[in-house]
Amino acid sequence: MDKKFAVLPCNGLDKAAGSLTREIAMRLVEETGSEIICPVFYRVVDARYNKLAEENPLLVIDGCGTRCASKLAGEKGLKIAGKININEEAKKNNVEIGASLRLGENELHLCDLVLKDILKEEEKEIKGEENVAGAVPENLEYEKFTKDKFIFRIPKEGFYYNENDCWAYVVGNKARIGVTDFVQKSLSDIMFFTPPAMGSEIEQFGEAGSIESGKAVFEIISPVSGMITAINEELLDFPEYINDNPYEKGWIAELKLTDFESDKELLIGFDEYFEIVKRKVDEFHV
Amino acid sequence: MSENTFMGVPRDKIDWAPTIDYTKCDYCMECDKFCPHQVFEVRENEEKKLIVKNPNNCVVFCRACSKTCGPDALSFPNKPETTKQIKEIRKELEGNG
Ligand code: SF4
Ligand code: SF4
Repeated sequence: MDKKFAVLPCNGLDKAAGSLTREIAMRLVEETGSEIICPVFYRVVDARYNKLAEENPLLVIDGCGTRCASKLAGEKGLKIAGKININEEAKKNNVEIGASLRLGENELHLCDLVLKDILKEEEKEIKGEENVAGAVPENLEYEKFTKDKFIFRIPKEGFYYNENDCWAYVVGNKARIGVTDFVQKSLSDIMFFTPPAMGSEIEQFGEAGSIESGKAVFEIISPVSGMITAINEELLDFPEYINDNPYEKGWIAELKLTDFESDKELLIGFDEYFEIVKRKVDEFHV
Repeated sequence: MSENTFMGVPRDKIDWAPTIDYTKCDYCMECDKFCPHQVFEVRENEEKKLIVKNPNNCVVFCRACSKTCGPDALSFPNKPETTKQIKEIRKELEGNG
């Protein structure tokens, strides 16, 4: 089970979290035969790592929310297979990262935990339930508008929206959710999808995973409350489907609804959303 | 300019905006650069070089700038509570309407 990665750590030197990315990268080299992409060198000479990045799954390790390594991968157009953010791992594992730049006991402990996670990750396959809300029609009818070179599509019928640019398509007691064209156009090339956990209970407007481009991270704000019963596993390999069509093959997840009657009060239909999104596009450059 | 209502509720009645933890913030200004809504304001010559100037410009339920913040200095209200608050205000408004 030796999984070889091309590892791209941010290697930030001015924070312990940055140094931790380097420590983890080195451990992966030792334990799995992975190879490191040096972010400093990569900036200067791309050709050096192109082959390595193409032939191996790319694991990006960021120290903090500035996401230097992710942004670098985005600039170079690399496909990200896995991703770690040290600050988030620290929170998740309840480990406090100290102010010193050197790695102490806590930091090394976190390093062990993260490594264990990476190495067991490939074993746990996400088990999908049958897609019950597969009833989203295949040839959706869209209303479109353009701004500069961008075309925005909004499905005309059957979709509920929230004002945070996410949609829900409801069939019986299940719903499929996703983001609208406004989100995918503002992010531009989507490089990474973090799905919500299967079986997790999500409140209305709670976070249902996130998507990420070189530009930013977008938290998917679930229009409905319920339990996650399916995620779009294809997006794990092809997050760019969200750019192709966020309503059809770029859907995010499905939920079993808890209280749609009450959720509905805070959702809007096509007419209202179309006006809102047009205004947003006019106000901000995408 | 931001909307002045959100889900039919006057925006200034909804409590949703980032809070800056000044013990963590290192004034990198990434959040201000990121947010297109003029929520933050940079004050070069003051001790707090960054403030939340226009909390009501912040898009309710958005937390995007916090994901650009290296030192994790930005926090937000609790979502379910905000949702509850919005529902209550809507009920009141209906009652008066
Ligand atoms: S991104 Fe974080 S650290 Fe940087 S200025 Fe904003 S609050 Fe401060
Ligand atoms: S949460 Fe969103 S809208 Fe609010 S300040 Fe941050 S980026 Fe701007």
